[in-house]
Amino acid sequence: MKKILLACSSGMSTSLLVTKMQAYAKQMDEEAEIWAVGQDQAKKEMEKADVVLIGPQMSFLKSELQKEAQKYGIPVEVIDMVAYGLADGQKVYEQALKLMEERS
Amino acid sequence: MMEQQSLEGLTEEQISFQLILHSGNARSKIIESVRKYRERQIEEAERLLKEAEQDLSVAHQIHFQLVQEEANGKQPAFSLLMMHAEDHLMSTLSMKELVKELLELFKTRNF
Repeated sequence: MKKILLACSSGMSTSLLVTKMQAYAKQMDEEAEIWAVGQDQAKKEMEKADVVLIGPQMSFLKSELQKEAQKYGIPVEVIDMVAYGLADGQKVYEQALKLMEERS
Repeated sequence: MMEQQSLEGLTEEQISFQLILHSGNARSKIIESVRKYRERQIEEAERLLKEAEQDLSVAHQIHFQLVQEEANGKQPAFSLLMMHAEDHLMSTLSMKELVKELLELFKTRNF
């Protein structure tokens, strides 16, 4: 089971991305738990995740979140801008998988 | 001069995401700018703020095109996501104005 956490300032835009990523994972017949939270919840939720992707409006928090994520040994990265700008669920899902592979 | 971003071929949803993307990039750079200033890297702080202004200008262009379309009689497709994208743009614009003034103030006070 792949666990992917998305975070943006309010969790609104990433909620929509989550729906698209879930649809893609289902299409690929892959089991994935994908959810979105707002900026304040990110640190609390990351212990349940294998990878954390954050929205561009939060990129200034990347190093802070990466530091926290070290505790759990999981990667934190900013969502690819082209993929985000087109609300491309497949691309973001693939980015998450790649980050997980690099880590393992 | 920044190229105007074409909205052609984009869905309503993608247009909202474009607005959030460019406003969001600006937001991050504005905060990083203040952090750099705090570390006495004043030139870097000013560079980041300038970049944020360019990102905001792209976002503003996108929004302006939508407003123009409406003025020309094309009924906009309203959604919470679009309103949320406007929130991003407007709050980041105010943030930029304020930070720009603050950095100038800090500079004159050798702060």
